[in-house]
Amino acid sequence: MKRTRLVAATAASTITLAMALTACASDDTEAPADSEETTSESGEVEPGDLTLWVAGGDTPDELREYLVDTFEAENEGSTLTIEEQDWGDLVTKLTTSLPDAENTPDVVELGNTQAPTFTNAGAFREISPELYEELGGDNLLQSFVEAGSVDGTVYALPYYFGSRYMFYRADIWSDAGIEVPTTLAEFGDAVTELRTDDMSGFALGGQDWRNGISWVFANGGELAVKEGEEWVSTLSDENTIAGLEQWQDVYEGASNVPATERDVAYWDFLNDKAEGGAPDAATIMAPGWARWSIGDLTENDEGEEVRDGMADDSKFDIFALPGVDGGVAPVFAGGSNMAVSAQSQHPELSENLLRIIYSDEYQTMLAENGLGPANTEFNSIMETDKFGEITVETAENSKLTPAAPGWAAVEGASVYEELFQKIAEGGDVTELAAEYDETITPMLNGQAG
Amino acid sequence: MTQAIGTTAGSDGIAIRRRRRPATPYVLLIPAVAALLIGLGYPVYWQIVTSLQEFGLMQQFGAPPTFVGLDNYARIFTDAEVWSVVAKSIAFCLVNALLTVGIGLGLAVLMRAVSGWVRITMQITLLLAWATPLVAAVTVFRWLFDYRTGVVNWIFVQSGFESFDGYNWLGNVWTFFMVASFIVIWMSVPFVALSIYAGLTQVSEEVLEAARIDGAGSRQILWRIIMPLVRPVIAIVLLLQIIWDLRVFAQIRLLQDAGAPIAETNLLGNYIYELGVGSQDFAGAAAVSLFVLVLTMVLSGPYVRYLMKEDAA
Repeated sequence: MKRTRLVAATAASTITLAMALTACASDDTEAPADSEETTSESGEVEPGDLTLWVAGGDTPDELREYLVDTFEAENEGSTLTIEEQDWGDLVTKLTTSLPDAENTPDVVELGNTQAPTFTNAGAFREISPELYEELGGDNLLQSFVEAGSVDGTVYALPYYFGSRYMFYRADIWSDAGIEVPTTLAEFGDAVTELRTDDMSGFALGGQDWRNGISWVFANGGELAVKEGEEWVSTLSDENTIAGLEQWQDVYEGASNVPATERDVAYWDFLNDKAEGGAPDAATIMAPGWARWSIGDLTENDEGEEVRDGMADDSKFDIFALPGVDGGVAPVFAGGSNMAVSAQSQHPELSENLLRIIYSDEYQTMLAENGLGPANTEFNSIMETDKFGEITVETAENSKLTPAAPGWAAVEGASVYEELFQKIAEGGDVTELAAEYDETITPMLNGQAG
Repeated sequence: MTQAIGTTAGSDGIAIRRRRRPATPYVLLIPAVAALLIGLGYPVYWQIVTSLQEFGLMQQFGAPPTFVGLDNYARIFTDAEVWSVVAKSIAFCLVNALLTVGIGLGLAVLMRAVSGWVRITMQITLLLAWATPLVAAVTVFRWLFDYRTGVVNWIFVQSGFESFDGYNWLGNVWTFFMVASFIVIWMSVPFVALSIYAGLTQVSEEVLEAARIDGAGSRQILWRIIMPLVRPVIAIVLLLQIIWDLRVFAQIRLLQDAGAPIAETNLLGNYIYELGVGSQDFAGAAAVSLFVLVLTMVLSGPYVRYLMKEDAA
């Protein structure tokens, strides 16, 4: 009995120590590995096993298979493994894997807003000017190229873009006698009028800043600007405040979704409820692919129950968020960048993979699948229906978050979620803006904070 | 082993034997000490080094870190948010650990009192709760407390509390921690209940019979005989609970993902994660981690000392 207790006590104190070591410190950084590919005497690239990380499920299976088959056919003896990473953990995974030559993926997809941080930190291999020209050069989506460049050197290329537009219940809007709005103020009034206790006029979670910043951009506001060498958060700029206040009015007037919600599956809100009655929302804002989760129930070829993709356009329809003085509001440009890890052991094979991704065939496949192609020459393939047209129209007017080195830190620490939640809860926008400017500015410049 | 030597050191003959200390025990200690040094010593060493440097994403990708002394500690511990997180974590940890052990103890005593098949049903039920994967358990609770479709709100509304229609449990700090506590307690009660029950089965029938012959009632037997005998087990599980509940991370994180005020609901583990991995301030995160190490030792120190004393007695 006594011995058992001694063992237990020792074990317990050991466990105490072990468990108290919660966060792991960073690994020791290894010296950049020799990244020159060993080429065999014939000049052929030595075969290797390449790993590509894609983020989330946006890249359809058909495209993944194409990449694997084409790559393995063109690079005899080499293999390509595609690993899907969750968007939520992507920054974490990139932070820990990219510096490690042993475990780094060779080619990675990352969010366009995350690209500046990793590009500035030196995580990626330079894309030589010759390769850049070969992959599409100036035809590549330039705002994304800038997000992946430092002082004119390109490190991360655009992968695809998407943009957000409004999906609405045409039947409910027309029953209420409300026309599709032509200005942002009209939009706010319309969705406020449509709201009932059981139905949001416009379903919007308080923490959903990626939708919310469209109001800032539309009012000519900026989230942050570069003054000299330093990035400065500009929430207190009068245009930014005007945008935030307009958004606050829309949230308070039109949405029944709690202020703490974010990344809600809004598309569900538009569909008829199973038990009948009004849907949960008359209007939502979502990326284009949300279409396939909206509509009446129907059966697909396999006999599964699916949504019909908004086939009935007297019931479900779309419009672009209007600007302050009409036209189209600049919305947040969603999308991804693609880059080669600086620590990759197979840089030449990685470049071969990039050649496949930026080939005409693959760019066509992206466009056909509703993903905005990296090479803007292929935009026309998308413009075959109203969904494609509106995607290209909103994308042309879309805007990126600031390309500050510390932007990923701001996202990683959920700072904007917090700010928008507090605004949604009815906080004083001017005070909150001043408070968060102070928090965000040091983070933007990559200083600990 | 040391004890045997210590207590018999009185006579001369044995004193001589003491002088030639056998090497074997020390040799046998080497693997354990080596494992501790490699598994714990090295990370702690790195943690300390990192906490004294400026270490962000640039350093992670190879830039040489600069030594900044205690700057990180000064920066972290003058931040009111850190102290609020510390206070919340300690309160959450103590409340949950005590409730868990209290409920577990109650269930263990109950299991001892009930008849065979009831006990087996209870044990299986407890084991199933214990075996539920963490993410699955949190998901179930998220669904139960969902503001739109959750069954909890539905039950309240059905029993006449209309104000709970659409009530957002995770949107308020207090109700958020209440839901988090439900999950933590639900998941750790089985371990406590079964451990204490195992301890209870070791109480010998003769002792109880002797007590009964001496005229002790069942309440007296419980408090005067059984409880003192299983006290060491209770002490150990309470210690483990305190440590576990102080480092709670995933439950909070998964609940936050369901939509909650993030900064206000962070506990130490989440705060460190957000600081280090989220905003790439590895040095600051290392400094807070070391603080948590010290905090854990302070919180669990009295128990470890008590257990040591029990053993020496």
